[in-house]
Amino acid sequence: TGGHTTEILRLLSCLSESYSPRHYVFADSDKMSEAKIRSFEQKRAETFSNSQFTLDRIPRSREVRQSWTSSVVTTLYSMLYSLPLTYRLKPDLILCNGPGTCVPVCISALLLGLLGIKRAIIVYVESICRVETLSLSGKILYYFSDYFIVQWPDLKEKYPKSVYLGRIV
Amino acid sequence: FRFKESLAEDLRSADLVISHAGAGSCLETLETGKPLLVVINEKLMDNHQLELAKRLHRGGHVLCCDCSTLVETLQSMDLSTLKPFPPGQPEKFALFLDQVFGFQ
Repeated sequence: TGGHTTEILRLLSCLSESYSPRHYVFADSDKMSEAKIRSFEQKRAETFSNSQFTLDRIPRSREVRQSWTSSVVTTLYSMLYSLPLTYRLKPDLILCNGPGTCVPVCISALLLGLLGIKRAIIVYVESICRVETLSLSGKILYYFSDYFIVQWPDLKEKYPKSVYLGRIV
Repeated sequence: FRFKESLAEDLRSADLVISHAGAGSCLETLETGKPLLVVINEKLMDNHQLELAKRLHRGGHVLCCDCSTLVETLQSMDLSTLKPFPPGQPEKFALFLDQVFGFQ
């Protein structure tokens, strides 16, 4: 959604073409991300002619301030979509930055890894808005990601296993 | 207006920006280098939204006030005290990922 998409596109801005094809996964209720992504990829195609990307939507796994128990149910529902999608895409790298949508995708990837089907590296970048506390996605994925990146030193102190590179968006 | 696709043009022609504490608004404005006054409404906001506004204020990058102090802040503010907020560096992220994957 919105800010998350803007941030993730900035993260992608300096990546080489080794990180291709790019598969964007976002919530079905998200009306604005598709346009931002297409615009980004169009610009990118001007420099890298073989640039490839795809777009996929899955049901939104959680509304803002949705309760815990109902969030588990909606996340499981989203997994009905994210699991076959992740199985089909078999990504080498999953890059996410915090919207609820990333949780079912990452859980799917972890399952595929456990089943020996495909082991993806999960890199989570917490939003720049998070200065002192982690988002809910962050709190969950801190334990399940391979690399957990924070953008403010307070968070690095609180979460010692995280990586601090300074501000990167 | 209610919603515009991009505020870039408005930001370019502004001398002062007064905004709520939404991260996107704050960061987009700071990138233009225009002075920013953030109006905080604690009743309406998520606690976590305040984190960024408070950090920016502590760093001297933005002015802060709440709805009741807006007018007096506008009258007494000194914009020259504001410090620039350097942009983020996504190239550091690219370097990090390249190291993870062994691309040099």
